[in-house]
Amino acid sequence: MGRTEFWPEPDVLDTDVAVVGSGGAGLMCVLHALTARPDLDVTVVSKGAVGRSGCTRMVQGGFNAVLDPADSVERHFRDTLDGGKFLNDQALAWTLVHDAPRVINELETRVGCFFDRGPDGRIHQKAFAGQSFDRTVHRGDLTGIEIMGRLRDQMFRLGPRELEDVRALDLLHDEHGQLAGLTALNVRTGRPLVLRARVVVVATGGSATMYRVAAPAREKTGDGVAMCWRAGLPLRDMEMLQFHPTGLLAGNARMTGAVLEEGLRGAGAHLYNAAGERYMARYDPERMERSTRDVVARAGYLEIAAGRGTEEGGVLIDISHLGVAEVERRFPGMVARTRQIGQDLARGPVRVSPTAHFHMGGVLIDVDCRTELDGLLVAGEDSGGTHGANRLGGNGVAESTVFGARAGDTAALLAPERELRDPAADEVAASLGRAYGPLARTEGPWPFDLTTRLKELMWRSVGVVRDAAGLAEADKELDALAEDVQRVAVPGPPEVNYAWQEALDLANQVIVARTIAHAAAWRTETRGAHARADCPDTEAAPRYLVQRRGADGPYGGITSEVRAVEFSRLAPEDQP
Amino acid sequence: MPGEDVRVSVTRSDPDAPAEFTVPRIRPMMVLDALLAIQRTHDPAIGFRFSCRVGMCGTCTVRVDGRSVLACQTEIDEDTEHIRVDPLAGLPVLRDLVVDTAPFWRAWAAVTPYLVPGEDQEVGMDAEPAVIPPDSAERETIDPSLDCIGCAACFSSCGIASARRDFLGPAALNRAMVLVADSRDAAGAHRMDVVGAGSGVDRCHYIYGCTAACPKGLDPARAIRRLRRGRFGGKD
Repeated sequence: MGRTEFWPEPDVLDTDVAVVGSGGAGLMCVLHALTARPDLDVTVVSKGAVGRSGCTRMVQGGFNAVLDPADSVERHFRDTLDGGKFLNDQALAWTLVHDAPRVINELETRVGCFFDRGPDGRIHQKAFAGQSFDRTVHRGDLTGIEIMGRLRDQMFRLGPRELEDVRALDLLHDEHGQLAGLTALNVRTGRPLVLRARVVVVATGGSATMYRVAAPAREKTGDGVAMCWRAGLPLRDMEMLQFHPTGLLAGNARMTGAVLEEGLRGAGAHLYNAAGERYMARYDPERMERSTRDVVARAGYLEIAAGRGTEEGGVLIDISHLGVAEVERRFPGMVARTRQIGQDLARGPVRVSPTAHFHMGGVLIDVDCRTELDGLLVAGEDSGGTHGANRLGGNGVAESTVFGARAGDTAALLAPERELRDPAADEVAASLGRAYGPLARTEGPWPFDLTTRLKELMWRSVGVVRDAAGLAEADKELDALAEDVQRVAVPGPPEVNYAWQEALDLANQVIVARTIAHAAAWRTETRGAHARADCPDTEAAPRYLVQRRGADGPYGGITSEVRAVEFSRLAPEDQP
Repeated sequence: MPGEDVRVSVTRSDPDAPAEFTVPRIRPMMVLDALLAIQRTHDPAIGFRFSCRVGMCGTCTVRVDGRSVLACQTEIDEDTEHIRVDPLAGLPVLRDLVVDTAPFWRAWAAVTPYLVPGEDQEVGMDAEPAVIPPDSAERETIDPSLDCIGCAACFSSCGIASARRDFLGPAALNRAMVLVADSRDAAGAHRMDVVGAGSGVDRCHYIYGCTAACPKGLDPARAIRRLRRGRFGGKD
């Protein structure tokens, strides 16, 4: 009997631990799994270049960790909860601050990173917004290159199997509903792959690219969260999407949205509207520009909305009062970035806009990165709860590496206990059917205009400031987009076809977008990154929404339950 | 008056695929923007790679009018009406502008590119980072040579490496120099053997293509000179 499927027969590969994603979380996971159990067979599945895709690579400012005896993990914890408006899962936030100094030790002594030193030869820590102590570890203003470069080097020592340019498609269960592995697509050859794995670690990063002005690398299309959603896992805090206050404006160039780092505000940069007012005086007169990202991004947005923005729809950041030489010495990467587009940070104000940056929401995990599906671990931006309603600058790469390391430790414990299982054939067929659909169809829209539609809609209706009417419109529009996404057709060969890849990215983005709009409509208050023009107040007791797909498919109904945040370590009224 | 269009010639793998395109000029405009415009309005199947678009990931490297550059960092200025875009030299083409960087990374791996701590050095989550002042001789050697993004622009620009002759190439040798100079590393002698062997520093003819091409302003030629001196026990 001949095959009737319109995709090639998948290759099958068995592994102990499949790590999806090759950023900070993914590669720290590999490091820890293979350090704990060198005999494990570990496979990295990365839809881009290993160690050179995703956003850890793009980290500028740095990594928050308590190293100075005058600082304390209790203070870092308090700052993290204050920043997160007490929506955080306190066990996760505590794990973050507790492990961060230990991960710095490991990055320096085992991984071979070298962070900037003070004159005494000890690690230098700089000021970041929203923190009560200067605790941000860095390598110049392009810290991510050092961390990811050295982690990538470790892979040559450890030798995991690297599936570069291989996109993970779907998690797979066996016929008893146990985790069995995942489907994947080799982007180079266009061939499908079934990976049987004892443990799967999802560490793909967030989905902020779904906004018109956005900071992340192109790979960040919510793949991990969407995979988990399709597999029926619960999500939390999906409405909590962080906008960074200072994204570059470079017209229609792809550079638009790239972040000018937080350290500029830490070092005393001023923000002005088009009328030359230091507008932060209206929004946070005490902390001014050093207020947290949520407050500063919203202030910029409101200034622009009120007609006090520049012609290009931005505001201005100015640090030139420190002097050309000082700005060039402390922020060489940022200066180069502005000169690239004909402006000059060292010599005058630069046009910026809030830019979609980081997703606080994600899959529910425990402190060891376990999910409710045995054998499935989630680490980094794909998980939710650590940052609550707003992430502090410098806590992002800390989260990726801290929880990546923990996922690796957990995977090393779990893998010997779990058997290899046979994936259910109908799940494999459904997954590959979805993936090969755009290539097989001859009639249908290209993905690019749909991506643009999604970005405009999210920016307009599910953006920095939201309201009930806009969210209701977004809900309807996203349903329409979901329909269109399932009709996309792409021409060209299966090999190295990035239009096809964009079609698959888009399908994931729309799934995540629907959960964001749904959760944003539920939260009838303003808290952290989630601002409602029609509900400006903040409720006394923080609650969060746990969402799950309904039985009618990933684009169908959303079931949800409301939970109260447990103040297991610290309540807002507790004295520091 | 410069035109409002830019003409772009792209080397395609399929000889029948379109290779000449005209895209509208935007301001500012990088080579990456031109490639995206081609993909979005002319040929969705055109193959090119990028990720971060701010010069940090090192994956969008191509040759523009013969020079190996990052597409995201190379401006199409007002006076430029036509560019030609080719894949990097010395690396196998997967499709169109997308190359397989495996030969570059094989060379990189050959120099033991990771830190090898000494036997007596503690490593891990409970080990203390080394105390090394920023004005120490080793840091003054190393710091200007860090921040390599592995983009392979130097490899493609090097007449020896890109000709697929047996040469480790500038980036790998730069990485070797950084580790040899690092007081935390104990594998310096082994690495000096590797860089001193047949495919090492002696292959370099000092054409300086690497240093001219590096988008991060590193100076791999200087690193190679330093390794050569180090091999003869010289100081500098």
